[in-house]
Amino acid sequence: MKTPPMLVGAALIFWGWQTGYLWAGAVMAMVLEGSRLVKARWDFSDEDFNRIWTVCTLLFLGAAVIAFTDNGGPARFSHFFQNPNLASQTGVGLAAARTGSAILRWLPMVLFLFIAAQAFSSREEIPVTTISLLLRLRWQKARKLGRPLPAVRGMNFSHAYFATCLFAASVHSSAGRQYFWGFCALLAWALWTHRTRRFRAVTWATAMAVVFALGYYGQHGIAQFQSYVQNLDPNWFMHLARRRGVSTDETRTAIGDIGRLKLSGKIVIRLSTEGDAEPPPYLREASYQLFTRSREWRVGRTNQTFEVVSPETNNLDWILLPEKIAPLRVQIACFLPDDSPETGARMGVLPLPTGCARLENLPVFSVKKNLDGAVVAEGPGLVMFDALYGPGATIDAPFEPDERMATNSFFLQHHRRFSVDPKLVTNTNYNPDLFVPAREQPALNEVISQLHITTTNTAEILRVVGSFFQNHFKYSTWQARESRGSRTNETQISRFLLSTHEGHCEYFATATVLLLRQLGIPARYAIGYAVHEKSAGGGYVVRLRDGHSWCLVWNAKRHAWEDFDTTPAIWMQDNGRSWFERISDAWSWVEFQFARFRWGQTNLRPYLLLALAPVVLVLLYQIFFRRKRRLRAGARDSQIEWPGVDSEFYLVEKSLARRGIVRKPGESFSDWIQRAESDPEIASAAAPLRELLKLHYRYRFDPRGLSAEDRRKLRVETEAFLKAITEPRREVLGTANEGH
Amino acid sequence: MTQILRIVYAVYRLFSSFRFRVARRFTRAGAMVFAAIVLGAVMGIDTENTVAYQAFTPLLFLLVCAMIFSWRFRARFSVRRFLPRFGTAGQPLSYAVVLKNNSTRTQSDLMLFDDMTDPRPRFNEWKAVQLANEKRFRSFRVGKDRRRASPFKVASTKSAAIPVVPPGGETEIKIEMLPMKRGVLSFQSVTLARPDPFGLFRAFYKMPLASSLLVLPKRYPLSDFAMPGATRYQEGGVALASNVGQSEEFVALRDYRRGDPLRHIHWRSWAKAGKPIVKEFEDEFFVRHALVLDTFTQDPRSEAFEEAVSVAASFACTIPVQETLLDLLFVGSKAYCFTAGRGVAHGDQMLEILASVLPCANKPFSTLEHLVFNHVGQLSGCICVLLAWDAPRRAFVKKLQAEGIPLLVLIVAETGDAAKIRPDPAEIPERFKILEVGRIEEGLAAL
Repeated sequence: MKTPPMLVGAALIFWGWQTGYLWAGAVMAMVLEGSRLVKARWDFSDEDFNRIWTVCTLLFLGAAVIAFTDNGGPARFSHFFQNPNLASQTGVGLAAARTGSAILRWLPMVLFLFIAAQAFSSREEIPVTTISLLLRLRWQKARKLGRPLPAVRGMNFSHAYFATCLFAASVHSSAGRQYFWGFCALLAWALWTHRTRRFRAVTWATAMAVVFALGYYGQHGIAQFQSYVQNLDPNWFMHLARRRGVSTDETRTAIGDIGRLKLSGKIVIRLSTEGDAEPPPYLREASYQLFTRSREWRVGRTNQTFEVVSPETNNLDWILLPEKIAPLRVQIACFLPDDSPETGARMGVLPLPTGCARLENLPVFSVKKNLDGAVVAEGPGLVMFDALYGPGATIDAPFEPDERMATNSFFLQHHRRFSVDPKLVTNTNYNPDLFVPAREQPALNEVISQLHITTTNTAEILRVVGSFFQNHFKYSTWQARESRGSRTNETQISRFLLSTHEGHCEYFATATVLLLRQLGIPARYAIGYAVHEKSAGGGYVVRLRDGHSWCLVWNAKRHAWEDFDTTPAIWMQDNGRSWFERISDAWSWVEFQFARFRWGQTNLRPYLLLALAPVVLVLLYQIFFRRKRRLRAGARDSQIEWPGVDSEFYLVEKSLARRGIVRKPGESFSDWIQRAESDPEIASAAAPLRELLKLHYRYRFDPRGLSAEDRRKLRVETEAFLKAITEPRREVLGTANEGH
Repeated sequence: MTQILRIVYAVYRLFSSFRFRVARRFTRAGAMVFAAIVLGAVMGIDTENTVAYQAFTPLLFLLVCAMIFSWRFRARFSVRRFLPRFGTAGQPLSYAVVLKNNSTRTQSDLMLFDDMTDPRPRFNEWKAVQLANEKRFRSFRVGKDRRRASPFKVASTKSAAIPVVPPGGETEIKIEMLPMKRGVLSFQSVTLARPDPFGLFRAFYKMPLASSLLVLPKRYPLSDFAMPGATRYQEGGVALASNVGQSEEFVALRDYRRGDPLRHIHWRSWAKAGKPIVKEFEDEFFVRHALVLDTFTQDPRSEAFEEAVSVAASFACTIPVQETLLDLLFVGSKAYCFTAGRGVAHGDQMLEILASVLPCANKPFSTLEHLVFNHVGQLSGCICVLLAWDAPRRAFVKKLQAEGIPLLVLIVAETGDAAKIRPDPAEIPERFKILEVGRIEEGLAAL
């Protein structure tokens, strides 16, 4: 199937015009279309086409190298391998895209030699094996094994080249429509010759016009859609891509949201303990002090500065509380979900058990902690470390009045913003860990009056509060719409405390924090995860739905914050895993293992290096001993026992060679015998010699071989012949001796 | 495991069906346009560096328009197919299809596709093939032991262009086909294809037309060789004896065979030919050979099995023209006797049986052994085409030898397996040959 005259030439000119290689395109077009005027043709063989294709392949590789270096490929890739972050990833992607575009743009030039060879060859079609290495190898193998050769299809590559020119012409960023119209014109030209004759030309033209009109509006729509997508907020995509980490400044609660909470079964943390030791019940990420009107929990401090934790000399251990001895140990594996704005590395808040004093085997760049108990690490996307913890001191400190004094105006502003009474803030006794918004106080007082608390003992108060929530409240992820008769000044928390008596952990934690504060006990709102599910493969897993909030209560005696959870334990109940969740878990495990490998948290890399050792050894062996092996292979070949090699006729050949009648290379035995007949002694014995040769040939080449009788005949008669041609000589010698 | 295989089977059916339909529906230009659409879609994503999206949309609408044109193809035709009686696996054949245009319009630019019944196997057969393949091939091995691309394809037919047919006119179209496997080849319908105005996509008009063709096994040429065996009295009497027996009536001359009485030697012919020649008479004493084909293999698509059938077919179609009688066929668990009247025209019948023989996976080799020994009294010689040289087969051959029956034993082995068979010289009969797949012809020539 050849292209119509001038079509490929026009496509080449179009390509040159669009990509800025107009002269090159015009010259190539003239050369190709010139083949229609020139009658002379080259008779290229398949082998010639193979060679021309090899030249084109080399040109392609050369173009690839030039394009890669031109577009800063080596620098960008080396930067990416040294410092793998989002910026370097983008750089690598950009270099790869530009390299690809440049190669595609040059493709008509790269392939020109091949297509010109086809145009000027005497053949219409070139075997497909020329361009397909796989087919070529298969064909060569079949030929080597003596099997029937697979049929080789011929192909005229001019249509493929035409398509290459059209697509190569598209590699530019001009927003005009010249490419579109040029493409349509050339496409219509190409299709005109292939049209079906049973339809009228008018039908064809009308259909083509409709197609191009639709195509025009379609490409216009694509361009518009693309610019719309590019203008979208990139953060929106980032949200789609993965779950964001926890903010140490604020957390929005789902308090007041209507409907059912969406609970995901995705595994986010994996824990393992030593032996049968119990894991910590909670893994805290952050704690907060101020409950705002917009149902958010915020930190109370304005100076949210993080203190940098210095690593031990091994750069793997990080001491959070230097004086504390932590008896318990748990291994935690979690993801660092955010990107650091400064370094581009991954960062995130570490989920840690309360009272965590030391982090071991944590291969990160930096660890920071703040006074609200949040520990932020910056490093690979997945971290696996040992957390050493125990009851007693925690890294989050109680509120110190000095802090207020130190940043007075900021502090005031900050707390005012979150509807704290200015008078209260300026009061020297103001403590954010005891702050209760005025709007929540009536409901809290009503509850306290129901509790009949007479003691000031913190432990006793906690017991009463705990049992109050356990006995009168129900856990529910469903929140109904507010009834019409609800009071106007009713808040979500007061509604939870006084009327609905059901809600999820955020209701319980918030209400408990506020209730304890109202009772004069410093409390904070903590978020993190509850640990309760054993993993099938040992250890524990924490899912996204295990995300939990509870409260921290200040224990003045121990001078430490302690966990206090009033959410009924029913929330942790596992209602049986669905089959989908099992599949999801299996996939999560695969992801986790891959992440371990990706972020260097396995010992696989050294093992990979070790695994390379035998490969290197095999390679070395092949390099150094290949010659020997070849020699051995050669020796093996020579050991093949061809039928008839033990024929006695070869003795005749040797014997005559000794007489000077040496068989030339390539000379057949019959020609050689004919030559030997010039020797008078041989001439007399030529007839039996020819008989012997017949037997020898049968012995050597007849698949049925020789019968025992004929075999014996060959042996005996050869011996007789040898005797005949050697004995007279001895006689002559004997006569001479007698003479002497 | 079965569930996974079922899913794979469903994917296989889906993919093969898709490939078949795409190959039929798209013309070569259409396939190029389709490829260009894919390329345009891939390149078009990057609107900053290329304007390939401008090529994508006209190409896409071009194909959509072509498909809309091919939505329906109304036509009125009648068709007849003229098939030969037999075909041979691996040998191209051609046949005619006569098409009559019953419409009032001249029909042009049409193509004809002949539709065979769906050759794809049912799940159980497919599963057996896959499991056998797993055993035979090593995974992750590049280059060697390549699996066949379409192991279930029974034949390939070429589509044929239909010349212009005037209204009410008839035209004969020659279709070329290559049967790839022996057995019954069933045709189901004839499809006429009409391309759209751009010549990219085809509309179909299908006409049911069922017929079938028997594809005989591939045969190899056999050199002129003497069959083993001695004359033996056959109980069937003269009705069983064909023109190759010994009777009062002189029939022909033939080479001397061990056991022929000296008085039957034709001395004058011996003098002429230089070797003993005997006279043949029509009688109930004749050499009767059996052909034993081993079908006991676990692999339903074994190449060795197919070659064994071909070897057996080669004997079945060659021996009847020689001076001996081959009319007993033991295939798997069945015995066939072809002697009827006085003719020897049973070669065709034997080939028909061999064309349809299937591998037997659920019975032991001993079934065949019992069958042959039930008829051992009638045998003068026996050709055994076996698939392995294991203990049961060795025992079978040994027993036949013990009965004094001259044997020709041929073992058909898979490529590369011939060297692994190392028979004990004490156990093998005088005429014993291992034939390797791919070198069968060579092996048979050396018999």
